[in-house]
Amino acid sequence: MSALLEVDNLRVAYGKIEAVKGISFAVEAGQVVTLIGTNGAGKTTTLRTLSGLLKPVGGKVVFDGKPLTRVPPHKIVALGLAHSPEGRHIFPRLTIEQNLQLGAYLRKDSAGITQDMQRAYDLFPILGERRKQAAGTLSGGEQQMLAMGRALMSQPKLLMLDEPSMGLSPIMMQKIMATIVELRAQGTTILLVEQNAQAALSLADQAHVMEVGTIKLSGTGHALLHDDEVRKTYLGED
Amino acid sequence: MHTLPQQLANGLFIGSMYGLIAIGYTMVYGIVQLINFAHGEIYMTGAFGALAVYTNLPSGTSIWLALPLMLIGGGIVSVLIAVGAERFAYRPLRNAPRLAPLITAIGLSLALQQAVFLWYPGGDNGKRFPQLPGGPYHIGSVDIQSGDIFLIVAAVVCMVALATFVRTSRTGRAMQATAQDPDTAQLMGIDTNRIIVIAFAIGGFFAAVAGVASGLKYGQVKFDIGFQAGLKAFTAAVLGGIGNIYGAMLGGLVLGIAESCASAYISNIPGMEQLGGGGWANVWAFVLLIVVLLVRPQGLLGERVADRA
Amino acid sequence: MQHRSLLILTSVLATGALTLTACGSRSNDNKSNGGGGSSSSSSSNTTVVIGVDAPLTGANSATGLGIQYGVQIAVDDANAKNLVPGVTFKVKALDDKAQPATGQQNATALVADNSVIAAIGPLNSGVAQSMQQVFASANMVEISPSNTNPTLTQGKDWATGNKVRAFKTYFRTATTDALQGGFAADYAYNTLKKKDAFVVDDKQTYGAGLAGIFKGKFSGLGGKIAGTDHVNTGDTDYSTLVTKIKNSHADMLYYGGQYDESELITKQLKAAGVNIPLMGGDGMFSDTYIKTAGKAAEGDLATSVGVPVTTLPAAKDFISTYKSKGYPGDYGTYGGYSYDAATAVIKGVKAIMDANSNKLPAMTDARSQLVDAVQKSDFDGIAGHVSFDQYGDTTNKQLTVYQVKSGAWAPVKSGTYNG
Repeated sequence: MSALLEVDNLRVAYGKIEAVKGISFAVEAGQVVTLIGTNGAGKTTTLRTLSGLLKPVGGKVVFDGKPLTRVPPHKIVALGLAHSPEGRHIFPRLTIEQNLQLGAYLRKDSAGITQDMQRAYDLFPILGERRKQAAGTLSGGEQQMLAMGRALMSQPKLLMLDEPSMGLSPIMMQKIMATIVELRAQGTTILLVEQNAQAALSLADQAHVMEVGTIKLSGTGHALLHDDEVRKTYLGED
Repeated sequence: MHTLPQQLANGLFIGSMYGLIAIGYTMVYGIVQLINFAHGEIYMTGAFGALAVYTNLPSGTSIWLALPLMLIGGGIVSVLIAVGAERFAYRPLRNAPRLAPLITAIGLSLALQQAVFLWYPGGDNGKRFPQLPGGPYHIGSVDIQSGDIFLIVAAVVCMVALATFVRTSRTGRAMQATAQDPDTAQLMGIDTNRIIVIAFAIGGFFAAVAGVASGLKYGQVKFDIGFQAGLKAFTAAVLGGIGNIYGAMLGGLVLGIAESCASAYISNIPGMEQLGGGGWANVWAFVLLIVVLLVRPQGLLGERVADRA
Repeated sequence: MQHRSLLILTSVLATGALTLTACGSRSNDNKSNGGGGSSSSSSSNTTVVIGVDAPLTGANSATGLGIQYGVQIAVDDANAKNLVPGVTFKVKALDDKAQPATGQQNATALVADNSVIAAIGPLNSGVAQSMQQVFASANMVEISPSNTNPTLTQGKDWATGNKVRAFKTYFRTATTDALQGGFAADYAYNTLKKKDAFVVDDKQTYGAGLAGIFKGKFSGLGGKIAGTDHVNTGDTDYSTLVTKIKNSHADMLYYGGQYDESELITKQLKAAGVNIPLMGGDGMFSDTYIKTAGKAAEGDLATSVGVPVTTLPAAKDFISTYKSKGYPGDYGTYGGYSYDAATAVIKGVKAIMDANSNKLPAMTDARSQLVDAVQKSDFDGIAGHVSFDQYGDTTNKQLTVYQVKSGAWAPVKSGTYNG
């Protein structure tokens, strides 16, 4: 039985500087897997490579049985891999509704799209209230909701979330994390990149700690949450 | 000052032409941040493409029958050149330093100009272009030529069609998304290369329409008309706020009217006699550009860069 | 990969552009025998090259080509008739694209070519200004068949009567704007009975000079200047100007400039319902003007130097040769003067050789001796008598007014004019 996503010895470089130095991990369908680590550990680079925005210099990525390393980004989306990027990157001058519609860009089933759009509004009621408003006028947390909702609009087999809690108020952060829990409960497979290790580990089935381009430690979320080394370095406890 | 309505109309006509060409600059810039300096030549080749169609029609063909064919012929030539330039000249340079595509554009511009000059039969001198019958028409104190009516109608139709396309179609939305954030647009499943090609194609087609309009208006096309028209249209695009299609049209109109009024009236101002007249029109056009950019660096309808991303 | 394709692409484009530009200059570079004419050899055949500089492509090229082939025919005739025994003449034509900088480069190239004894050209007064010094420094004769700006021979203060010749190597077989502008004003006021003239020029040496003279003379005769304006060369839209002219109620438009702009102006003027004639100088006296402006050109007028080459009995053979050889361009305006300019050089070469026991001195000496020989020219050319006054101007001060009638330039008045 092969996993939904298999990453094997992936290496990515910016010019001559290698940012990801041969990492391997897998994501099983239905799981929440998290990559944690400090700034510059290579987490975002990994996600951008998986979605095709960056070309790897070596290694293999297999998604749903198909190799991904030479596939352009817009075709990767079609295979069922959605990416909610770091910094949210909503389209500021389009309305919330149009942003969501763009998430469903490749879908042809207008009935299904309307249904999923309603689902996004149920998940984030604030978006429903402001659907005709330019997305650039939303607060940071609301923009994050929109980015997540938009990524879900493609009906992904795997949802990649990059730093969903970054820059958010504690209340907003809790709300986002609660949503992730809810999505997991609905059976969505999620690959989560987070700086907030505490929150990420507590909801992850599987977790990997990245440090300067390598995976230093792997285990279940629960195990790593109670690992001494992890507690000391990433959870700020002595 | 009783010539004012006529001078405003003159400015409006020439301004519509600048605007039509400016849309090509602004769309391409909006999406790939590239100034396609060969765009003026795409306008020129469109005019020649249309002329070639006309020349090959049986003599005596009605201009009303010929005109749609000329628009199609000119459009095909311009679109092919624009798309070819994107595919073979600009795309390989997309990640190169900014200067490389700029120099390529200038080279391409020279090559296109010289190609028409050398290979279009009789292309080294002005070529007569068919003209629309009828006119001039009088509206109050304003005279309007048939060619001007075509120009205005074409500009309005093109502008409305483009606005509708961008606002309501799926591709139009993808275009806006690509302009605002190309990487994220790809994450939505948008083939941004295709969007870029479409932007070049629309710009090319509009340039061809402007080329045909210019031929009908002036009764002549020449291999070197692209340079000045391109420069003015680029000015219009910057004036209106580069990247904004409405800005391009507005910039064109403002520029046309400013030029027309400057050359008509500045010499009437005491002490300015030497600085007026048609010979100074270009100077005043650039003075206007500088003043606008001092007050609004982003152009009339442009967003501040900070709003992007 | 990225860098390599960038490099390849840039080179391909650059090469393409350069190749095309090079082709564009279409220079008729007849290979000259290197140094063949440079030394005094007693061998039976020396090759002497006459340089030509004119716009051969692009703007003004129709008239420019008329100069090139006018010289070519003179040279062919001289060779066929063995006018200078022992000497074979050749033509080396360079394209100045009507641009002063290119003209200057061409002048330098001609001076550097040791087989070139003299140059014919250029077409444009503005280009001539940039070339005069180059030829003067090399002591090389330059004869323009078409420059009409008075300053070229008489210095910038000519109008005040303070005439100074700056370059003794510069001659012309065409008469000057001082006469052309005045001749036009005289015809417009006295014959056409026009009273209100709108005067426009293109800000170039030739156009502005011509317009200024017309303006002065026309108002001197009692006419009114209804308005003035300037345009830029290369403009295509003259709607603002047309509105001004319409509003001024002028009964004629005088334009100082070339046909490239005036053909568009007359068209836009007539389209706006302003049915007044456009009158200009020899710069718009070209068939291209009528071809491009079409019906709008009907009734327009142009002055040109000399009398129409087609009405000159002496030019009959020239015209039939030009036509039978199928040469491109327009010989009507300056073809005859180009022929005569070349003939002045050829006769000068003969005079030098006669004085030097039938041998051509070393090229540097030959060039400077030719200056005196050309100054002494005195013969009947195909376009009239050829001799030069103390400024290098032609003594043949004949002018003609032409009018577009049924789609062709027809001479309506010829005469001599002395200001």
